[in-house]
Amino acid sequence: MNSISEKTGGRELLLQGNEAIARGALEGGVKFCAGYPGNPSSEIIETLIQASHDLPLYVEWSVNEKVALEAAAAASFAGCRALASMKQNGVNVVSDFLTNLALSGTKGGLVLVTCDDPGGISSTNEEDARLFARLAQIPLLEPATPQEALEMTRWAFELSEIIANIVLLRSVSRLSHTRSNVRTGEIPENETKPVFDTSTPFHTFPVVVKDRARYDKLKRAVKLYESSLFNCYQGPDRPEVLIISSGCAWNYAAEAVEILGLGERAGVLKLGTTWPLPKSVLEKHLGSCDRILFVEEIDSFLEDNVKSLGADLNKDIGPKEYMGRASGHIPLCGELSPSVILHILGKLFNISWKDIGYQSKIQELTKDILPPREFGFCPGCPHRGSYYAIKTALTWDERNGFVSGDIGCYSLGLFPTGFSQVKSVHAMGSGLGIASGYGKLDTFGFDQPVITVVGDSTFFHAGLTGLINATFNQSDILLLILDNSATAMTGFQPHPGSGATAMGEPTVPVDIEGICRALGAHVEVGDPYDMENTAQTIYRLMQQTGPRVLVMRRKCALVQGRQGGFPYRMRVNPDLCVGEACGCGRYCTRVFRCPGLVWDKGAGKAKIDEVICVGCGICADICPQEAIEREKNP
Amino acid sequence: MDLPNPEGQGRLIAQVIDKGLCVRCGACVGLCPYFNYFDGKVVVMDLCPAGSFRCLQVCPRAGYHETSPIGGETSNGIGVCSEILMARSTDEAVRKSSQYGGVVSALLIYALEKEMISSAVLTDAGDPFAPKGRMVNRRSEVLDCAGSRYSASGSLSALNRAIKKGHSRLGVVGLPCQMAALARMRLMQPDGKERSQAVSLKIGLFCTWAIDYPRLKAYLDRQKVESPVLKSDIPPPPSEIFRVKTQGGWRDFPLSDIRPMVQKGCSLCEDMTAEESDISVGTAEGREGWNTVITRTDTGSQLLKRLIVEGWLETDDLPGGSLDHLKEAARNKRDRARQAEIDRSTENE
Repeated sequence: MNSISEKTGGRELLLQGNEAIARGALEGGVKFCAGYPGNPSSEIIETLIQASHDLPLYVEWSVNEKVALEAAAAASFAGCRALASMKQNGVNVVSDFLTNLALSGTKGGLVLVTCDDPGGISSTNEEDARLFARLAQIPLLEPATPQEALEMTRWAFELSEIIANIVLLRSVSRLSHTRSNVRTGEIPENETKPVFDTSTPFHTFPVVVKDRARYDKLKRAVKLYESSLFNCYQGPDRPEVLIISSGCAWNYAAEAVEILGLGERAGVLKLGTTWPLPKSVLEKHLGSCDRILFVEEIDSFLEDNVKSLGADLNKDIGPKEYMGRASGHIPLCGELSPSVILHILGKLFNISWKDIGYQSKIQELTKDILPPREFGFCPGCPHRGSYYAIKTALTWDERNGFVSGDIGCYSLGLFPTGFSQVKSVHAMGSGLGIASGYGKLDTFGFDQPVITVVGDSTFFHAGLTGLINATFNQSDILLLILDNSATAMTGFQPHPGSGATAMGEPTVPVDIEGICRALGAHVEVGDPYDMENTAQTIYRLMQQTGPRVLVMRRKCALVQGRQGGFPYRMRVNPDLCVGEACGCGRYCTRVFRCPGLVWDKGAGKAKIDEVICVGCGICADICPQEAIEREKNP
Repeated sequence: MDLPNPEGQGRLIAQVIDKGLCVRCGACVGLCPYFNYFDGKVVVMDLCPAGSFRCLQVCPRAGYHETSPIGGETSNGIGVCSEILMARSTDEAVRKSSQYGGVVSALLIYALEKEMISSAVLTDAGDPFAPKGRMVNRRSEVLDCAGSRYSASGSLSALNRAIKKGHSRLGVVGLPCQMAALARMRLMQPDGKERSQAVSLKIGLFCTWAIDYPRLKAYLDRQKVESPVLKSDIPPPPSEIFRVKTQGGWRDFPLSDIRPMVQKGCSLCEDMTAEESDISVGTAEGREGWNTVITRTDTGSQLLKRLIVEGWLETDDLPGGSLDHLKEAARNKRDRARQAEIDRSTENE
C-alpha cells in the first residue's frame, strides 16, 4: 500500500505540497476527484490515482477543467465529497460554470484547487486565480506550507458542506512542489452512497434570491474564519511595520524578518482565509500599526481588499500607510522570494543587508560552468520533425505564411528549436479559433497562408470547437494535429485518444481522424519523422481550400524511450562532414539543433553526443553531406 | 557571425534573389541545404554563414565572374557553330512523344544505349507539382521527360544530387542559362573542376524566355485548366498563342496573357541558342516536326555524326533564309538584354 493512502494518521511523511493537498482531500473524505493536467497542479490527481488503488475513490483525468468541475459537482449534488484540481489557466476555463455553480450551491463538500504559477515558470501567464473567489463570491483558502495544505484541504470539505457552496483553495508553484515533513491525520471510513435528492434541484433561479443566499453563505464562512487558526500573528503588540501576508509568500516574509532580526520591530499577520476577509482579525491588527506592507504572490488581492476594509474602518483605526504593489514597494510582476522581501525590509528599516539568497549563491557557483540554455525539444522529439516539415513547406510556398500555435510542448515552436515558425500562442485551443478567423480574412485581401498546430490532448480539451467553427463558417483552415499520443508536457497523463483512463481502465481511443471527417474536414495522416514527404503533403494541402486536417502521428520520444527505444545508433562520419565549409555551414548543430548533435570545435566536425542521442535517426535526412549515418541497433 | 555571409550567400540574395532575377536553373540547389527548388521556385531555406560560396560562383545571373567563363562574343548571334542543320528522329515513337522532331530524345537514347553516358539529367512533368529535374537511365524514362516545359525547372539540382551520389558520365539537357551555369561550375572553387568532369554531354535547348511557373499555374487554375498539363507549346510566329494539352485535349490562350509571366531574369539573358552546350537543339522554322540542330564541340559533332550514320536521325539543310532569321532572332534577344541591363543600371542610379 502507498503510504499516502494509509488510513491511520499520526505519521510524519515527507510530502510534496501537492501530495499534501491530495492527502488532505483523502482525510477530508473525498470520493470523487477530477482534473486536467497542468503544471504546477498535476501531482494532486496523480497522487489520488495512486490512492485509488487502495481506497474507495474515483479519480479521472477529464477532457478539460470545466468538465472536471462539472463531473465533480455531480458527485457533490449526489452528496459525495469531491475535488477538482487544475492550474490557474484552467480556472478561466471553469469560470462560466463556476460563477453559476456558486449561485446554485452544492451539497457534498466540493473543493476547487487552483495551483497558480507566479512568474509563469511553466505557464503562458502569471494570472492570479484568487480573483475568481471574489468574482464568484465563494470562500478562498491559501495554505502556506505542506502541513497547512493538508489541513486546509481537509477543512475545506467541511466548510463547503457547512455553507453548501464550493470552496476555492489556492496553492502556488513553490508550495505545490516543495517537500517537507507533514503530520497526517486519519482517513475516515467512506461509505457514502451517492443519491440525488430530486426534491432539491440545483440551479440559479431566481437569480437574486440565490445571490442573496450566496452572500449569506459567505457571512457564515467569515464567522468561521474569525476564529480560524489558519490566521495567525507573530510579532510585537505594536509593530513599526505590519506585514500582511498569505500563502507561500508568508514564508518569505517570516524568513526575511528573522534574517534581519526584526522580530521586535515588525509583525507578520498570516492570513489563511482570504476571501471574504476575516474582518475582526484585521480590525484588531490594523489598529495596532500605521504602516502596512503586503506580501502576497501575483496580484494585489489582499492589498486591495484590506485597503477597502481599511477605508470602512477609517473612523476607528485612522489613516494608514499602505505599502505594496500600488505604492511600488513590491514588484508588480514576477515571483517573490526571500531575497525580494529582504531587500524591501532592509530599505524600510534602513538595515544594510547583503544578498545571501539562492539566486546570488547560484550565480556565484555557476558563473563559469553553466552556459545560458535556451528552450529545446528533447532529442528524438517528433515536434522537431513536424516544425522542420512546416518550415520547409512555408518556405517553398513563398507567401509569407506562418503558424498559429497552441498550448503544449509544441509551444516551443516559438523558439529556434522549432525554427521560430509559431507566431502566436495564447490559451488551450486558441490556435484553432484564431486560425478560423484568419481563414475568413481573404474577403479583405488577406493572402498569407496560416497553418495551425494543436496537440492531441489540447485538441480534445478545447480544439474541437475551433474546428467546428471553421467548418461551420467555411473558413479556410489547415490544422496540423501533432499527435504524440500523450499529454507529454505535463507528464504523460492519459487522454481520450490514448486508450486507458486515469485509473488504468482500457477504453476505446477516440478516433481523431474520424471526428475531423465527421466535421466535414479533409483528413490525411503524416509522419513527423518523414520530413521531406510530410513537407510536400503540407505544401499540397496549403494550395487547397476549406477545412483540412493533417494528423502528424509519432509517439512522444520519451514514451517511445520507455517502450523499447529507437532503432538506430547514430554516428557522424568525420571524413564526410565538412563542418563550417561551403556546403554545410554547421547545418546540423546551427539550424537543426537537436541536442544529440554537438559541435566538436577542435576537430571542426559535428559529432553525436551518445549520452543524449536516442537514435531516432532523422538527422541523417538533413545532413547535406550524408555524413550522419544510421546503424541499425543490434 | 553575420548571417548570411555578406560576401557569399548574402551577395547572391541581394544581387539575384531579392531582385527577382533568379531563373530557376537549379545550379545552386543541392550543393548545400540553404537553397531548395520546389514547385517552380528556388527558395532560400536558411541563411548561411559559410565564407566560401559556390552558390554565387555558379549562378548564371550573379555578377561574380567579370566576364562569361566562355567569353565568346560572337557577332552572328548564335555562338560557336560547327554544323547547323535540320533533323528529326527516324523513330516514330520518339517523334510522337517529343515536342518537335525528337532529336534531343534520340541523342540521349543513343548516348545511353552506346554507353557514352551512364545517366542523363532531364526535366520531368513533376506532377502534382511543377516540372523538376530527374536523373534517368533508360529509353522509356527519356521519353517520359520529352517535351518543352518553358521553364528551367531547377533541373540542375538533380545534377548536383547525382554528383553527390557519385554518378559520373552524365548527360545534361538544359536551357541556355543552365548551359551557362555548367560553364561557371567548371570555375567554381574548390570542387568545380571535379564536378564538371562528371558531365560528359551538354545538350542545350533554344530559349527565347521561360515562364514563371507559379504565375502560369495560377493563370491556368483561373482558366480552369485541369491538372496535369501533358504538354505545352508556343507555335512559331505569327500565331501568337500559348497552347496547353491536358487529358481533355488542347486549349489555346493568347500569348499576350503569358508574356507578363516571363521570368524577370530572362530579360537579362543574351543567349537564345544555348551557346555553351556541346550541341544545341530548337524548333525548325517552317518545318513542323523537325528540329534545328547546332553542334559546337567535338563531342557534339561526333555524336550527331554517329546518329546520322547509324540512321537514328534524318537530316536536311535549313531552308533558305531560315538561318538568317535564327541569327536575327538571337541578335534581337541579345540586344534586348543589353538594353534591359542598361535600363536596370540607370534605374539603380
